[in-house]
Amino acid sequence: MNKTKKPKPQTKTINKMTAEEIKETVKKGYAEVATSPKSCCDASCDCYEPFTGGGETLATSLGYNIENMPKSVTESFAGCGNPVALSNIKENEIVLDLGSGAGLDMFMAAKKVGNKGKVIGVDMTPEMVKKARENAEKLGFKNVEFRLGDIENLPVDDESIDVIISNCVINLTPDKPKTFREAYRVLKPGGRMFVSDIVLEEELPKEVKESIEGYVACVSGALEEQKYLQAIKDAGFEDVTVIDKTKSRYIASDKIRAFKPKNK
Amino acid sequence: MEILACPIDKYYPLELHVFEEKEEIVAGVIICPKCSRWYPIRDEIPEMLPDELREEKDELPFLRKWKNQIPKKILTKGKPFNIKTEIEK
Repeated sequence: MNKTKKPKPQTKTINKMTAEEIKETVKKGYAEVATSPKSCCDASCDCYEPFTGGGETLATSLGYNIENMPKSVTESFAGCGNPVALSNIKENEIVLDLGSGAGLDMFMAAKKVGNKGKVIGVDMTPEMVKKARENAEKLGFKNVEFRLGDIENLPVDDESIDVIISNCVINLTPDKPKTFREAYRVLKPGGRMFVSDIVLEEELPKEVKESIEGYVACVSGALEEQKYLQAIKDAGFEDVTVIDKTKSRYIASDKIRAFKPKNK
Repeated sequence: MEILACPIDKYYPLELHVFEEKEEIVAGVIICPKCSRWYPIRDEIPEMLPDELREEKDELPFLRKWKNQIPKKILTKGKPFNIKTEIEK
């Protein structure tokens, strides 16, 4: 592990930070992941098994076919699943990626929707959006669009999206119920959401729970599974199912599918 | 543009003013006619962040740079930042 790449230690604990301060810290953390790549789940706490293999190895281990993908796409990859592989994205559909990072999941989805479909990525870190846009250009994708934005406040019209995907990002939002309400709002009736994310399996040690570094590393911001699933249901989603789950110490990576009802 | 909405009040459709265009819109401004918020397009990327994630020091230079092309209502009354005092000097 390269210690020099870690964000500077923060003096404040999470419970003393505002939602904005947390977002700013997350933004800075992922600006570093964009410019000097490391994995999301690479915290300096020993509460779980950190993944240290780098983005390429991580993506391959999660079943991505990264053949022909330039390093700039995979090196900043920080997912904990492969939502596009679990989804049934069809040709011509409009897909929205919440927290699109350097774009790997978007490009996987872009291949499925084809030229008449579209994949929109929203990410709040300018360095990531810039990198993703450059990657799209390198790969020649014409059906992808990027927006610098906050997934708690989506810059997307109501009922305009067929499929939402998100990979290891919603745990980083201070207001998860709001994020799911926004996801619900922008989905068309009958739309689907495929999320891969970290949930808590048991209570974290106090020092990890309060650590902003642990938060940026996708651990301390995670909710217990039941609360996470309840937040999705409370937003209005139906048929909320954990389709796959990988357990680690204290945390698990859940792969979740949910639907917006057809008739409201 | 067809599914772009204001992140604050979710208003749709938004106004688009293009300043520089190649294959894509390189620079421009997106305006919410309902709440008077403006969002820059810089280097082909629409920056649609909510107020609390925007910083005045990064945003005012954009208004100054394009002040001849940005509608006056935004220069003087735009949210979350405007250059009313500079314009009315």
